[in-house]
Order: sequence, then C-alpha cells, then structure tokens
Amino acid sequence: MNPVFRSQVGLAARRPARLVLTGLALAVAAFVVSGTLLVRDVVQRTVVAQLSGTPSAADLVVGDSESTITREAANAVKSVPGIAESVVRFSTYAELKGAGNEWLSIDVDPGAGPLATVKVVQGAYPKAANQIAVTKRTAERLGLAVGTTTVATFSGREEGDTKSITLTVTAVVDADNDWGVNGYAPQSVVETLPGAEFTQRIEIVLAAGADAQAVQDRLKAAVNAPAVRYKPEPNEDGTVPPGPKETPVRTGAEVRDAEVKQAISDVDELFAVVGMFLAIAIGAAVLVAVSTFRIVFAQRMRQLALLRAVGAGRAALVRALITEGALTGLVAGTVGMLAAVGTGLLAPQVAAAFDKEVLSPGVPVLPLAFVVLGTVFVAIMSVLAPAFTASRVAPLEALRAASTQGGRSGIGWFRAGFGVLTVIGAGLLLAGAVSQLSHVDDEFYDPTVPMLMIIGSGGLAYVALVALGPVLLRPVLAFVGWPLRRLGPLGRLAVGGVGGAPRRAAAVSVVVALGVTLVAAALVGGASMRALAEQELAVAAPADFVVTGEKGVPLPAGSVDRARASKDVTRVLPYRTAEVDIDGTKDEQSQKPWKTEATDIDLKALKAYPQMRATEGSLADIGPGKAAVRKYLAVKLGVGVGGTMTFRKDGKAMTVTVVALLERTPLDVGVLTDAGTMNALGLSAEPNAFTADQAREGAEARNAARKSLRGVGGAEASLTVSLLADQRDDLDKAINSVMLVLLGLVGLTVIIAVVGVGSTTALSVVERVREAGLLRAVGMSRMGLRAMLTTEASLYGIVGAAMGLALAVPYSWLAIASIGHGVPVEMPIGQLALVVLVLAALTALAGVLPARRAAKTSPVVALATDG
Amino acid sequence: MRTMATQLRPEQTAAAVAAVELVKVYGSGDAAVRALDGVSVTFARAAFTAIMGPSGSGKSTLMHCLAGLDRATSGAALLGGTDLTTQSERVLTKVRRDRIGFVFQSFNLLPQLTVAQNITLPLDLSGKKADRALFAQLVNQLGLADRLTHRPSELSGGQQQRVALARALVTRPEVLFADEPTGNLDSRSSAEVLGLLRESVSTLGQTVIMVTHDPVAAAYADRVVVLADGRIVRDLNRPSAAEIADALGARQ
Ligand SMILES: Nc1ncnc2c1ncn2[C@@H]1O[C@H](COP(=O)(O)OP(=O)(O)O)[C@@H](O)[C@H]1O
Ligand SMILES: [Mg+2]
Repeated sequence: MNPVFRSQVGLAARRPARLVLTGLALAVAAFVVSGTLLVRDVVQRTVVAQLSGTPSAADLVVGDSESTITREAANAVKSVPGIAESVVRFSTYAELKGAGNEWLSIDVDPGAGPLATVKVVQGAYPKAANQIAVTKRTAERLGLAVGTTTVATFSGREEGDTKSITLTVTAVVDADNDWGVNGYAPQSVVETLPGAEFTQRIEIVLAAGADAQAVQDRLKAAVNAPAVRYKPEPNEDGTVPPGPKETPVRTGAEVRDAEVKQAISDVDELFAVVGMFLAIAIGAAVLVAVSTFRIVFAQRMRQLALLRAVGAGRAALVRALITEGALTGLVAGTVGMLAAVGTGLLAPQVAAAFDKEVLSPGVPVLPLAFVVLGTVFVAIMSVLAPAFTASRVAPLEALRAASTQGGRSGIGWFRAGFGVLTVIGAGLLLAGAVSQLSHVDDEFYDPTVPMLMIIGSGGLAYVALVALGPVLLRPVLAFVGWPLRRLGPLGRLAVGGVGGAPRRAAAVSVVVALGVTLVAAALVGGASMRALAEQELAVAAPADFVVTGEKGVPLPAGSVDRARASKDVTRVLPYRTAEVDIDGTKDEQSQKPWKTEATDIDLKALKAYPQMRATEGSLADIGPGKAAVRKYLAVKLGVGVGGTMTFRKDGKAMTVTVVALLERTPLDVGVLTDAGTMNALGLSAEPNAFTADQAREGAEARNAARKSLRGVGGAEASLTVSLLADQRDDLDKAINSVMLVLLGLVGLTVIIAVVGVGSTTALSVVERVREAGLLRAVGMSRMGLRAMLTTEASLYGIVGAAMGLALAVPYSWLAIASIGHGVPVEMPIGQLALVVLVLAALTALAGVLPARRAAKTSPVVALATDG
Repeated sequence: MRTMATQLRPEQTAAAVAAVELVKVYGSGDAAVRALDGVSVTFARAAFTAIMGPSGSGKSTLMHCLAGLDRATSGAALLGGTDLTTQSERVLTKVRRDRIGFVFQSFNLLPQLTVAQNITLPLDLSGKKADRALFAQLVNQLGLADRLTHRPSELSGGQQQRVALARALVTRPEVLFADEPTGNLDSRSSAEVLGLLRESVSTLGQTVIMVTHDPVAAAYADRVVVLADGRIVRDLNRPSAAEIADALGARQ
C-alpha cells in the first residue's frame, strides 16, 4: 500500500467522524436516489396491481380503442362455438332531469362471475329491464340511494328526438371508475336502453378444452363479416367516408400486457421529471462534497506538508487523496443505499400501523449497485480539485509555527475570469430575453425562445455565483449581518466567524442558495399560476351556481323569489340571455349570419367581479349602449375597443360601442351589456336565468344549496342547475397538489444544503477547538459559545437565502412575464420571507449538534501548545 | 478539603493567589499520573513570579488549577480568598472573564477580529465598556497604536503577543497568568514582551504569574518557584539568570 495513503487512512481511521461528515451529503444523495428507485418500483407494482383493466378471466378480447363494433357484430359473436361466456361492453348515457340535469353514464357489467369488474356493496345487482346499479359517489352526488327511481332522458340520433325512461336503482357498487356519474347494469338490461348501439370491446371466456387460436380466427371472421361491419353514413355530397379498420381479436394476456406497459410508461414519464430534480440535488451534493473535502484537506495541511518534506511526491499525494475520496464515496453510497432499502422494508409495517396498505418494494439489485458505483464516481469528481490543491502544499508549511489561519477571500485569476465570463454570458442572454418581452402582446408570440434564454441566463448566473461566491460573501454578509452585529459581541463574533473563512462560507452558502432559488421560483410560479387561475375562474365560474330554464323562455314565475327566500343560497342575481345574429358576418355553408348569446347580467354584482379582467379595455365601462364582447368575434369583424357592433333578433336591432374585449367570457356569452340596451331587442322583462352562491362554506352547504335550487322552479318545470363552484375546488386542489409535489422535489436540494451546512459547521468546529478554548478562557460561557456557533450556522442559511432570493426573484419575475397572454406576476412576499426564516431555522438546527460538542471544549485546550 | 480552606492563616488569604495541598491526578488505576503532588504555595500581590521546572513537572497543570481552567483532585486553589475548586462552572466563567487575564504561548488571537476587537474581546463578552484611558495607555505602552485596525495575520509574532498582553490587561485582572509567553518568540521580541510584563507589575501594580523554561526570562521575575515531579523543590527570591540556571542544573 502506498505509504502516503496509509498515513492518510490512518488519520481518517483515527477520526471516523470526519469521514462520516465528509460523506454525509453524498450519503443523503445516495439515499434519495435509492429511495426514488424503490418508490418507483413500488409505484409500478401498485399501478399494475390496481390497474382497472381487462379482467384476468378474459381469454380473448374483441376490439380496441379504434373499433366500432355494431350490435349485429356483437350478436354474431354469440353464435361462435367454443365460448363459455362473453360480455359486450355497451355503453350509453342519459340526462337525469330530476337530479338537476346531471349526466349519468351506464355501462355493461355482469356484476358477478369471472368477467365482473364491479362489486355490489348494497342491494341486489340489477336483472330486469330499467334497473341499474350506481357507484358510491354517484349515489351520494345524485341522491340515488338503493330503491330510488329517476327519470333518465336519452337522446336519439336526431336533434330533439329524446326518450325518457324511469330507472330504478337496485344496488350500490364498488367500481374502479367512480367519477360520480357512473351506473352499471348487465348486458341484457343495457342492450334495451337507447344509445347502446356500438361498442369497442367484447370480452370472451373460452369453453373448457376450446382451441384458443381457432376461436380467435372464427371470431375475427365473424365480427368483420361485411354484413355486420359498421357502415359510415354518406356525406352530404354523397361520398362515403372510409369505415373503421378491421376489428382486431387479441388474447387477454396480450391486452393486459399492453395495458401494463402503458401504465408503467406513464409512471416512467413521471419519474423522468423526478429524475431531473434528483440531478439538481446530486449537483448540490457535489458542491457540498467538494467543500467538505477542501476543509478536511486544509486541516491536514501540516501533515501533508510533512509528508512532502520527507520526500513524498506530489503525484503520490494526489493518488492517496483521490483514493480516499473514492473510499468515502463507497462508504457513503453503501450507507445511503442500505438506509433506503431498510426504510423501504420498514415502510409497509409503519403504514400498516396507520391502517394504510403499502406494497413492500423489491430489491432491484442492479440499479442499487449502480447507485453505489455512481456515488463513488461523484465522490471522485468532487475530490479532484481539492486533492490537486492540497498536493500543491509547500513542504515548508510543515515547519511554520501554527499560527492564525488567514481568512483568504480572494479567488484565483482563472476562477475570477471564469466568473466574469459567465456573468457576461448571463447578461447577454438576459438582454436577449428582455428584448423579446416587448413582443409579449403580439398575437403569434411564442414564449419558448425567451423562456429558454431566461433559464439559460439563470443557470449561468448561478454558476457565476458559485465562481465568485467568496468575493460576494463579505458584502452580502455585511448586509444581512448588520442587525446581528448590533446585537452584541456574540452576534459580532458569529458574523466575524463566518466572514473569517469566506471561501468556506461561500461554498456552503451557494448550495443553500441553489435550494432557495428553486423553492422561491416554485413559489413565485405557483402564486402566479394561482392568480392566473383565479382570473380565469372568475370568468369560467363567476358564481357558485347558474340556474337556467328552457331556451329563450322566462323562468317560471316566482323562481327568483323562491331562490331569494332560501336560506341556503345567497347573492341571487337574475338576468336575461338572448340568441342574436351578428351583423356583418356570414357562415360559409349556411349563408346565414353567425349567432351568439347576449346577456344583461350585472357583472359588478358577482362575487368574482374583482378578479375579472378584460383582455383589452375595462369591464367597468359597460353601461347604456356600451358592451364587452368576446375578443374572437370582434377580431373577426375588425372591431377594436371604441368600435361599434350591431346585433339583431327577430328584426329588432341593438347597436353597442365596444368598451372591453374578453378572451373568455363569463357564462359563455358573446356580448355583455346592460338591461336598458338589451330592451332594444324587444325581450320580455322577465329573467330567463339567474346565478346564486351557496350561503355557507363547505360541501354540505353546497349540497343543501343545490337541493333548494332544484326546487325553485316548482313541480312541473325542469330547471338546469349548473354547479360552477366544483370547478374552482378542483382547480384549487390541482394547484395545491402540484405545488406540494414541486416543493417536495426542490426540497431535496434544500435538504442536501442543510446537511452541507451541518457538516461544514461540524468540520469547522473541529478545526476551531483552540478558538473555542480561547473564548472560554477569556470568559465566554458554554451557552454563549453554543449560541455563537449556532448563529454562525444559521448565517450560512441566511446568506444563502439572500443570494438565492437575489437570483430567484428577478428571474422568476421575468420568466413569468415572458409567458405572456396576460399571465400576472405574483410575488408571494410572505411565503418568500418564510423561506428565509425556515432556512435560517433549519441551518441553525444543523449547527446545534456541532455547537454543543464545541461548547464542551475545556478552556485548557486553548493553552495546548501543539495545534 | 473544605476544612483545609477554613483553617488558612490570614496572610495566605491576603495573598493574590494561593495553592493549599493541591493534588491533581490525571487518569486512574495503573495509568494514573500524579501531575501535582500536594503543592502549597502563595503568590503575593503586585509581584512577578516565575514558575520553572523540567518538562512534565506540572507547571502548566498548576497554572490551570490556579486559574480555574481545570479542577484539582484535592486541595484548594484560592483566588483572593475564593476557593476555585468548589465553584460552579458558571462562577468560573465569570472569574475567568472578570478577574483573570491569560497570555498563551501561541498568541491565540481570533483571526477574524481586528487588533482593537481582539483586545476588547473579554470586555465585550461581559458587556462592559472599555476604560478608554486604560485602553489608550495600554495601546501606547505596547506600541500598538497604529495597528488597531489590522488583523492578526498581518502582525509579527512579537506584535501578536503584545496584543494578547493588552487583551489580558485591559480588564484590570487580579492576576495575569502567562504560560511560556516567549516560547514562540525570537530573543528580541521575548525581551520586549518580558519588559512589558515587568513594567505592568512595577507601574500598574499587576500580579503576574508566568510559567517558563528559560532562565533568562525567569530573571525578570521577583521570585522563582521551581517544580519537579509535581512538588515545589526550590523557592528563589530575586535570583539572577545564573543562579536560576544553577538551581535547575542542580535538580537535574
Ligand atoms: N490532560 C492530561 N491527561 C493526562 N496526563 C496529563 C494531562 N495533562 C498533563 N498530563 C501529565 O501531567 C504531567 C504534568 O504536565 P504539565 O503540567 O503539562 O507539565 P509542564 O507544563 O511542566 O511541562 C505530565 O506528566 C503530563 O504528561
Ligand atoms: Mg507546559
């Protein structure tokens, strides 16, 4: 063994804690990567296990997502020999007039037997005509308990050709698909309902002893026979479009295999995104590892110089140090990987304690081995620069008396030059992006290029921060440390301690900065997306409910008063709508003018009015003779804000000045004006619709509101109650969960940064025992020492957070501004301040343990002569 | 040992510092080292005392115990009448901060603080304002007036030790302890530092206890106590360098 290496390993073996600290960030990275591999494994298997796919009993499957199988073809299947059982998965849907005009889809399921996918939880599965089973959510949402009946209106092929059937709910079932609109019945029942004419899928169970291949061939011939194949309707000009391709017949195994592959590829796509964030976290771990290697080698400078003085070559030193780095990586990788595997094995037990079922991950040996090897590789990459620097130590260093270690803040010419170049690069890209911003309002603006420029510039700016960090540290520290310095000698010493080793402080602060940049960018992005979503929702869902009657007919008398009287609803706002022709337009085919909907709703009275934004002009200007118009229509006519448009209905005309253009309009109308202006169209004064809000928050209040609104039309009239509030909730939930996942992913980098602060503080403390002893000798209490070192650690966090915000705020601002299309830039100041506080707290926490250890130092060590 | 402390003669408690039957054992069992083997000695106020002896004789240990940096195994270590061996860590911290000054062999300045900040560090820690006049006097006397804004790394060894001396004196400590303060200095700087220590005794009335190897350094002192194997073997009053060398030589 290389004697240099032996001496270094000897040192490392005497101080195993240091080895652990050096490798900690790498171990965390290895843990996270292994953990992700295991989670992926679990998710894949869970997805496969819970796949709502083809029942495993299905031996053959006729049709795929592109097929149109006619009822005749489905009947032909029955006469094919060798089949024990078959299910034709017909599907139809109907409108439930009694339940607020909601839709219900009805699918075929045998309910029992090998091909069943639903399971009865209450009642008896339907057998007779017009009986159905519904899923749990459907039963709750539409009030369809077992034993209730509902009138379902099926629409036929021609418009206006409808058929109403009273359906009886005989069972509530558990089903893989439960969107709250799902009903099931056996094939014999669904077949008799209107609309069940085509299917895409027939599942087959073979008779015992049947030859699968032979049956498959016979089936293929049967369903593709010209007599039963779907024949498309001829076009108006008499040409016949090509029919669907030949209906395939596949084995169940084949179909299930394809379904599994699809599901897994979805999981893989998801994990590819996760992988991107992992890569950033690994980059952070590299930065931390480089810094810790530097610290550890610097602490050994005297021994290394001694080795050089007694004749060790520079190359031998480098080799020894790199080998040490590789070993550190091996240990860290193995520890991290094993910890992840251990956690994976424990997870199902822990989950079981909370009544949750989690599959135990397998142990994917090869990928995990790659994680360990990868950690070794990353460790070697990290150790290179520190090893070369350390090997350049002059043998004379060994003879120099131990004295004050200088706090070098300078950086080499090469590093400075590189830093300046990246700053210039970042500036150029930024200028390029900013110059594109003037085109944001253009109609064909494409945000891709400016967005890429901004991301590129941000990346370069971060590289510059890493390169120039030591130079930037003191000014940043002077800024953020100012209040601390006022706080007394402890604060002053802590600020001085961080500033005393600026390269080290910069090395760990930039990692914190990376984490903060990502978190802050995610927060700004999230806040802006939320603001955008609120703007759009204000338009899409201006109220919780919209109640409409039959087209063009006023609401039954007293409806609005009854709604107003209900204690479950509030803000009842009646309005009129009318279908109008637009002057100056002509449809190519019918040669008639375009139609659109006009309304006189009082926007200002709507709950969502404050969030509504016009694309151009101002909604506040709507008034007598003035209207807001859907932008698309105005653009088609070449009318802008200030122009006029005329609308006609039954020979009467209404001319308005356009005061606002809207990309999207509330209630999906084309023209919004005031009541007086609408009177020109000769409408009845009675409203034909109204909006309303639920009186109280919560799902229960919503159901109550919906129930009372359904009743306001009186017994015979059927009013449509549309629930817009659900859209808002869904969007809110979607944004929240996306934010949660995103923060979790960027949180990985933050964790590694915090680990970096912890190990840097711990290593610095080791090196500073003399300083600690001295402070104790001149009368600093243990508490004081602890407080000082903890504050130092939190300063790493605060300085990093300040640097991170300095990058994140302008860049995320620009990035969002460059998306264009009226996306508002929203700065969540409170959340950003919270990030700084949390980082300060986390990094302080990382410093607590090392600080406690240091505070135990006896003042006597300050007097020890060798050091 | 409590009883011992109460049986002290008046002149012992009047002394600045005293050790009474002080014993310090490091380790236990076979590995036990008796670093101090029943040392009794008093150090007068406003006097400059040197502690000498061969390496390993217990000089540093004695100083650590007297200064409240380390706890004796038995016996009493009296600072102005307070027995430090029975005090809590909190009291000792205050004692170190307010009543004792240290000068170390290896300077021990904080690299991140300026010269001025290093000097006032103990005052800052106790939240006291520096006595402007004393500060100015010390800085001038020690020749540091034009170095106040420098950092330790920009100073020579002698200058650094003078900063350490200023830091030790600025709190007006009852006793100034110095452990081989000239160990890392060349002879010119040594002479300077020793001269300054001597002067602080003569002009400020400072009590100084200095551990040293060097007979020349010890010759600056009023009194030289020689230790060997954890016991006091000689006690010389105003000896010359030659007498000291003789005394040490005789022992060895
Ligand atoms: N922390 C310690 N642990 C064990 N033995 C010690 C310790 N400090 C000093 N000693 C021992 O006590 C004896 C006296 O040491 P010390 O007072 O440092 O001597 P001096 O300062 O005179 O050279 C020596 O034998 C030394 O090895
Ligand atoms: Mg000693």
